[in-house]
Amino acid sequence: MNTVPLLEMRGITKRFPGVLALQDVSLHLQSGEVLALMGENGAGKSTLMKILGGAYLPDGGEIRIDGSVVSLNGIREAKRLGIALIHQELMLAPNLDIAGNIFLGNEPRRFGLVTPLSRTRMNAAAAALLRRVGLGLPPTTPVSTLTAGQMQMVEIAKALALNARIIIMDEPTSSLTAGESQQLFSIIHQLKQDGIGVIYISHRMEEVLMLADRITVLRDGKYVGDLDRAGASQDKIVNMMVGRELSGHYFPDRPAPPPIGHPVLVVNGIIVPGAPAPVNMIALRGEILGFAGLVGSGRTELMQTIFGVTRPLGGVMTLDGAPYRPRNTRDAIARGVYLAPEDRKRHGLVLPMTIAQNTSLPDIRNYAPLGFLHRRKERQVAEAGVARLRTRTPSVYQKTVNLSGGNQQKVVLAKWLAMNPKVLILDEPTRGIDVGAKAEIYRHMAALAAEGITILMVSSEMEEVVKMSDRVVVMRERRIQGILPREGLSQERIAQLMTAKVARETAA
Amino acid sequence: MRRELGMFVALLLMCGALWVSNPSFVEQANRFYTSRQIAMLTIYAVGIAFVIITGGIDLSVGSVIGLTGVIVAKLSAPPPGMRLPLVLGIGVALGVALLVGLIQGLLITRLDLQPFIVTLGFMLLLRGVSQTIALGGNITITDQQVVTLSGGGTQTTHFPALTHYMDLVKGGLFYVHGTPLLSWPVLICLVVIGIGGYILHYTVFGRYVYAIGGNRDAAEYSGIPVKRVETLTYVISAGMAGLAGILYAAFIKNMDAQHGQSYELIAIAAAVLGGCSLRGGEGTVIGVLIGCMIMQIIDNGFNYFRIGNWVPNENWKAIVNGAVILVAVILDRTVHIVQSKRRTRRAGLAAASPQPTVEVVSPGAA
Repeated sequence: MNTVPLLEMRGITKRFPGVLALQDVSLHLQSGEVLALMGENGAGKSTLMKILGGAYLPDGGEIRIDGSVVSLNGIREAKRLGIALIHQELMLAPNLDIAGNIFLGNEPRRFGLVTPLSRTRMNAAAAALLRRVGLGLPPTTPVSTLTAGQMQMVEIAKALALNARIIIMDEPTSSLTAGESQQLFSIIHQLKQDGIGVIYISHRMEEVLMLADRITVLRDGKYVGDLDRAGASQDKIVNMMVGRELSGHYFPDRPAPPPIGHPVLVVNGIIVPGAPAPVNMIALRGEILGFAGLVGSGRTELMQTIFGVTRPLGGVMTLDGAPYRPRNTRDAIARGVYLAPEDRKRHGLVLPMTIAQNTSLPDIRNYAPLGFLHRRKERQVAEAGVARLRTRTPSVYQKTVNLSGGNQQKVVLAKWLAMNPKVLILDEPTRGIDVGAKAEIYRHMAALAAEGITILMVSSEMEEVVKMSDRVVVMRERRIQGILPREGLSQERIAQLMTAKVARETAA
Repeated sequence: MRRELGMFVALLLMCGALWVSNPSFVEQANRFYTSRQIAMLTIYAVGIAFVIITGGIDLSVGSVIGLTGVIVAKLSAPPPGMRLPLVLGIGVALGVALLVGLIQGLLITRLDLQPFIVTLGFMLLLRGVSQTIALGGNITITDQQVVTLSGGGTQTTHFPALTHYMDLVKGGLFYVHGTPLLSWPVLICLVVIGIGGYILHYTVFGRYVYAIGGNRDAAEYSGIPVKRVETLTYVISAGMAGLAGILYAAFIKNMDAQHGQSYELIAIAAAVLGGCSLRGGEGTVIGVLIGCMIMQIIDNGFNYFRIGNWVPNENWKAIVNGAVILVAVILDRTVHIVQSKRRTRRAGLAAASPQPTVEVVSPGAA
């Protein structure tokens, strides 16, 4: 720390309704340094970065850039000071072209808003920036035609166009292929050379250990400590993040030889719209069938087909031996096939409604024998669900919008458990959920499987897939690459199938 | 319920001020007149509330009101009407209204068209249909037809059914000084509020309506027949407009193509005043009733309000109307912001007080 740091955040505190999101958190960044910010979901990383990006005002603490105190009230102000935040969900306008996106909100304007857009100047400047990030596409390419990786490059170019000195990347590789990730890493090295400070948020240990000069760890909204590259190891980081040794208690014990149940769901030659090939698989009674693959590998789409959201273009499915052709979600639900979606807030819950109302929603006809809602029964079922999953809430009349991610997921589960599932599809069951709630959800999954419920679990968390699944279906580019049994299951084996091109032969 | 309560207080204050400024505001004649206007507005505002709570909008309501009136007049009134039985006229009018709602609902849900555009199209189209039926002029609903005989005398034909029909908005129960305390429109309106409130707040269908407005995708993923429910809300809205249209026709009698114009905007404003959100998922039938009362009492109170000899300028009515809506939503939003800020502060303090001791571990070199 020989010089004045490029960025210093000291004693940052931020409150939200019901939570203290950040408490006295500090962080510093030198120019030309890559700082990894780590912590479990809900540790406060995103909140801290939104404060730095000017989206939130802190309730306490100070921020210094080049040693002088700044007040980041507003995204424009943060940008003016050279801070660029690249969100996990990329914020590009798909209807504009690359150049239009790079200069969005930053258009050269001599006469205020009425300045005519100088397309030639914008395109020339955009082309130069695209060269810097190694994206060989014309600036007039519509953004809607780009891959996730290319969009990431456009975001970085957009940051460079602002002359950003601090670039924050939030889970930049979560939707990239291995090759695209490599390209991103080399750009990050280039940014370092140019003296730009990079704050890198990721859950992927290998990336962090490879890229970061230093690692700052947060837990429960508090600063835990710093590790420099030499002193960092995966175990140390995890210990700091979790605050305790991760032991066998985290994942429940699954029966050693998986139970051999009869086939419940048979998928035979199903063609998911947009998929290049038909899909075949069998799910057994009482098993947890994991689905591994990169984002965009077609797992969610397959689940949506099984749940009746989209209709297959061909093929047949059977459920308990009888033909199963769901035309919509209602048909699927009527047969006991339920889905807890990846995006809880969008597909899983009606947020302005209460826990009780959400719990009864799919089965509401059974609460109203004569069309008149039986509110006591609704309350009792919801309370049973809350008790069973240990949802933390003052009452079942709490609106679900006020619950934490883990508790929201429990409400989604409770609503299906109240209806005796036959097949329960869990799409990213623990995404955005804190460690404690995660362990509970794993325990429930194991218990449900032991009861004979078939669970299809889509997950991007490798450890979860390996520890929880009885068998793992690995998907890549919307095909099934292989189905791995529990014996000999390893993260490496799955990762190979997920990413490697050679693996395609094993599936064919 | 915050909005409903606030609006109820505002309503009481308004009535109180009007009463103090001009005691004849609460006289029976005005009570009869105003309650009847409120009733007719509430009937179709409850219908439109179903659409608004699912997150949709229905702009065709005023045209449906106009069209049902014109159809009743055309079919059942003396020439230029066709003198067909009144039951037929009312039946056809209501049938057409329901059909319009069904077509709109199907277009919106099955073709995934935007409600604003579809109902705007029908608003214009039905207006033209009314004009065509009325042949650009007007048809008067009256219970007698006077024919000049070739001999020079006149012969008057009476239509008792139409007499009863027009009495629909004059008569009622419990007469005081020659006017009923509870007019038929008020009674019909009470039935509509009862049934509408029951459906919206106590039935499966009502729960679906709120769920769709709260989160359409989640409703879909919960197996709710989203399209069917949404379609039905447009049928309900148009049906209620048809019912109101039949009452308005008996009241106004002189049917031309302009009848019912911009009524939908008054109903939407009343629903929003009463706590419905155009984003969907919010609103109650009682709130809609309160909103309707406020809209009509402003309208009527303008004729009564005075301070000493000073009387407000009649031309200010629309300004006051608009300002009331804006002030209501601004106040509501302000209260909401203040409340949530206070909640945040309180929650922050609560979270900060039971402080668990944290040890700061800094393995590795600092």
